[in-house]
Amino acid sequence: MFRSLQSDDHNLITLSVNGRSVKARKGQSVWSAMAVASEVVTRKAALSGNARSAYCAMGVCFECMVEIDGLANQQACLSRVAEGMNVSTQVITEDTEADAGL
Amino acid sequence: MQAFDCAIVGAGPAGMSAALALTQGGADVIVLDRADRAGGQIYRSASSSPLPDAASLGPDYAAGADLITRFERSGAKHLAGADAWHIGDDGRILFSYQGDTRELHCREMLLCPGAMERPMPIPGWTLPGVMTAGAAQVMLKSDAVVADGAVFAGSGPLLYLIVAQYLRLGVRVAALVDTTPRRHYLDAAPLLPRAWRQVGQLRKGLSLLREIRAAGVDTYRYAENLEVIGEETAKGLRFSISGQPHEVSADTVFLHHGVQPNLNMTRAMGLAHHWNNAQMCWQVTVDEFGQSAISHVSVAGDGAGIVGADGACAAGRVVAQNMLYHLGRVSRTGRDRNSHADLYYLSSMKPFRRFIDCLYRPTEALRLPRDTETLVCRCEEQSLGDLRAGFEQGARDPNALKSLTRCGMGPCQGRQCGHVVTGLLAQWRKESPDAVGYYRLRSPQRLLTVDELGRYNTIPAEAAK
Amino acid sequence: MKADALIIGGGIQGCATAYHLARKGVSVIVVEKDYAGRHASGVNAGGVRLLGRDMAEVPLSKASMEMWQTLDEELGHDTGFRRQSLINIAADEGDLDTLRAREAKMHEAGYAYERMIDQAELRDRLPHVNFDCVGGVISELDGYAIPYKATSAFRLAAENLGAKVIEGEEVLSLRRVGNTWLAQGSRNAYEAEAVINCAGAWADRIALMIGDNVPLSHAAPMLMITARMPHFAKPVVGAVSRQLSFKQFENGTVLIGGGAKGFADRANNRTRLDYAKLAAACRTTAEFFPNMRKASINRMWAGLEAYMPDNLPVICPAVNAPRAFHAFGFSAHGFQMGPIVGQVLADLVTGGQSRFNLSPFRIDRFDRKVL
Repeated sequence: MFRSLQSDDHNLITLSVNGRSVKARKGQSVWSAMAVASEVVTRKAALSGNARSAYCAMGVCFECMVEIDGLANQQACLSRVAEGMNVSTQVITEDTEADAGL
Repeated sequence: MQAFDCAIVGAGPAGMSAALALTQGGADVIVLDRADRAGGQIYRSASSSPLPDAASLGPDYAAGADLITRFERSGAKHLAGADAWHIGDDGRILFSYQGDTRELHCREMLLCPGAMERPMPIPGWTLPGVMTAGAAQVMLKSDAVVADGAVFAGSGPLLYLIVAQYLRLGVRVAALVDTTPRRHYLDAAPLLPRAWRQVGQLRKGLSLLREIRAAGVDTYRYAENLEVIGEETAKGLRFSISGQPHEVSADTVFLHHGVQPNLNMTRAMGLAHHWNNAQMCWQVTVDEFGQSAISHVSVAGDGAGIVGADGACAAGRVVAQNMLYHLGRVSRTGRDRNSHADLYYLSSMKPFRRFIDCLYRPTEALRLPRDTETLVCRCEEQSLGDLRAGFEQGARDPNALKSLTRCGMGPCQGRQCGHVVTGLLAQWRKESPDAVGYYRLRSPQRLLTVDELGRYNTIPAEAAK
Repeated sequence: MKADALIIGGGIQGCATAYHLARKGVSVIVVEKDYAGRHASGVNAGGVRLLGRDMAEVPLSKASMEMWQTLDEELGHDTGFRRQSLINIAADEGDLDTLRAREAKMHEAGYAYERMIDQAELRDRLPHVNFDCVGGVISELDGYAIPYKATSAFRLAAENLGAKVIEGEEVLSLRRVGNTWLAQGSRNAYEAEAVINCAGAWADRIALMIGDNVPLSHAAPMLMITARMPHFAKPVVGAVSRQLSFKQFENGTVLIGGGAKGFADRANNRTRLDYAKLAAACRTTAEFFPNMRKASINRMWAGLEAYMPDNLPVICPAVNAPRAFHAFGFSAHGFQMGPIVGQVLADLVTGGQSRFNLSPFRIDRFDRKVL
C-alpha cells in the first residue's frame, strides 16, 4: 500500500481516476496520485489483456500509459496532476474497436 | 531557429556541471531537460523536496541541492520541460515543449542521457506491484510517496540506500532479499586493497548495511531462483537459499540489480557502441574527453558508462573543457591544465568502480529469463519461448528478431528488452555481445502525436522562441 | 561453394526466385551482404497493391495478386497477408475526373478489378473519413502483408527445398570463365552456372560486374507507425491526388506512408529522415482522418530503395553476358510483385523464356545512340 508522507492539506486539487474523485497535491505525478488512491492498474496489455502498472516510474518502461482527458498513451509517471483532470486505465487491446465516426 | 554555442541534453549532475564550466568559459549554453526542475534522477527534487525532512535522504542528496542552485545561477539557459526527441549529428535538436515541436541548432552538443535500472526479467515481473528500487526513489523524492511493507530484492548500493532511507523515515520494510552470490565476495576481495583509495565511498556502503541490520529488517542473503507470487497483482516473493525455499508476503516488490546507460539517444544518433563486460551493458564509444567519433558530439555521465554522481560531475567538467577548446575559448594546453584534476579523480575512481562492478555484477540468472513463459518484451508481450522460436526460424540478428516477433517494437523502444535480447542471442549464437549487436534505433525517443508533429515547421518563428 | 544458380540479394525477389528455382530442382545459393530482409524488403510499408498500377505492370501484378491469396499455404509459413481491400480517396470533383479517365482506360484494356465508389459507399467503408471527401476507387483483392515475415516465408520455403541462404556475405567481384560464373564474396568463393542479380539498391553495382550499365537512382521512402489504436479502418487507404497512405494492421497499429522521401546514404548503408516532410504527412493524414490527430507516433524510419527513371523495374536476362539475369529497380512498389517475379526468373533461368511480355522491363531500354 502506498501512502504520502506529507500530512498538511495545502495545495490539494481534485482529479478523477477511473471515475473516482481523488485528492492529490499540486505538482504531484499522475502515477503517484493513482498509487496513493490504490488505483494502480495503469493499462491493460494489448495481447493478453493482463493488468499492468508502473514499473520504473521514471519514463523508460512505458508501462504506466494511461488515458488523460481523452488522450491515450500518456505516461502517468511523467504527467502532472491538474484540477479536474480525467484519468483512466488505458484499454487498447488488439480487439478494441473505435466508436463509429460521425 | 535558435542557434547556440553549446546545447546540453539532460540536467543531471553531468549536464549541470558541464553547463557551469561552459558558462564560466564564456560559452552561450542551453540545457534541455524534460523534468520541471534540474537534478536528473539522482538529485531529483533536491532543491525542492516535498519531504518534511529531506536530510533523511543523506548528505549526498543535500549536495545535489547546492549544485542545482549554482547551476541555476550560472547564466546557462535552462529549458525545463523540454523533451528532446531527435538529436541530429548535424547539431540540430528537435524537442517537445509546451505541446509543440521546437528546434534549435548548436555548434557543440553534449548528451547526458543518464542511467536506467537494469531490467530483471524474473517470473511475475510484469505484475502490478512489481517496480524497480529506482521507482521507490523517484516516488519518495518527487512526491514523498512510500510503500509500506514492501520487499526489496536484488543487489547493489542503490538497493541498500533506498531501504535505509525508508527505515530512517519510519516506513516498514517487509524484507531485504539480497541476491549477491557468495562467490562475488571472494571474487571482489582481491580488488579491495586498491579500491581503498575511495575509503569514503566504501564507508558509506558499509554504514548503509549496518543501518539496515541494526533496524532489524528481515534480511536474506545469497537468494536465488526469484519469482514474484501472485495471479493478478503481486502477493510476495518466492526464492531459495542453498536449495531451501523461502517466501515473503508483500503487495509491493522492488527489484534492483544495478543500472545501465540509457542508450536510446546515443543509439538513435548512430554513434558507435561497445559492450562493457565488467558492467554487462552497452556503452557509447567516446574518448577520455567524452568526445564521440563525431567531433562536435560528446557524451558525459552515466549515459557514457556508469560512473556515479561524483564521477558524472567530474566528467561533465572535463567534457566542458574540451568543448571550450573546440569553440576556441581555451587553448589545448589550457584544456589539459583545467581538466587535469578531474581526469586524475576519474582515473583514481577506477579501482573502486572495478571492486563495485565485481561485487555486484548482475548474475546471469537475473539478467536473462529462464522460464519459457517469462516475458522479455513487456510492451509486445514476447516471452523467452517466443524469441527462441523466432531465432530457430532464422532471425539471428536483434533487428531480424524484432521484425519477426515484434520484440522491441513497442513504445519503450527496446529499453526493457534490448540488453536481454543481446544476451540471449549471444548465448544462442555462442558469440560475443559485440558480434550480436543491438537494435537499430531511430528518433523519436518518445511518443509524439500526429497533431504535434503536424504543427512542426508551421509554427511561426516568434512563437517557437 | 558450388550451385547451379547463385542469387545475389536476400530480399523478397531473391528469396522468391530461390524458392521457385528450388522447386524446379535447381540447386541454389543466395548470398546477402547484411541479413535476409534487411533493407527495402523487410522495412517497406507492406502494401500488396494492384490498384493504380502502370499498365505495363498489370499482367505481372495481377498474376502475383492471385498468388498472394494462397501464399501462406503454399509456402507453409505466415506472410501476414490480409485481403482488406485498398481504397484511393477522391477529395474533390477533379479527383473523380481523374478516376473516370483511368476507369475508361482500364475497361478498354479489359480490366475490371478497379471499381469507383460513391460518397455513401466511401463513408460506409471508412466511417472516419473527412466528410468533404466525395468518393474513390476500390480494389477488393488488395491488402497488406508483413514485409519481413513474407520475405522470411520465401526464404524458409526455399531452404526447406534445399536452397542455401548465406548472410553477411557481400559479393566483391564477379567474372565468367568458360561456362562458369565465379563470384568472390567477403568470406567465401562461389561457382555457379547462372547468376541472378536481385541486389535492390545495390543492383547497379552487380549489373556492372556482369557487364550491364543501368541508370539506377536511390531514395529513402519514409514511414511512421503509431502505437495501437482502436480499430477504425479495415481497408488500406490512399488518395487520388494527395500524398496520403496508411493502413491499420490487425494489431491496431497504423502505418503512415505517403511517399515522402528522406535522405538515402547508400555509402554508409543508412538513411536519414526529413522531419518537415513527415510533418506534412501528418497534416495530410489528419486532414483526411480527423481521428488520427490524437494518434501517437511510436517509430519512424526509411528504407533504401532503388528507382528507375520510368519507375518500372528491370526484369530480364543480361544483355552483355550469357546466363545472367536481373530483377531490381522496383521503384518502391516491388513487394507485391515478389511472388510472380520469382516464378518469372525461374522460368527464364531454366527455360529461357517467360509467359509474360517483359519488353517494358529490359535493362537496356534507356540506351541511346551517341548524339
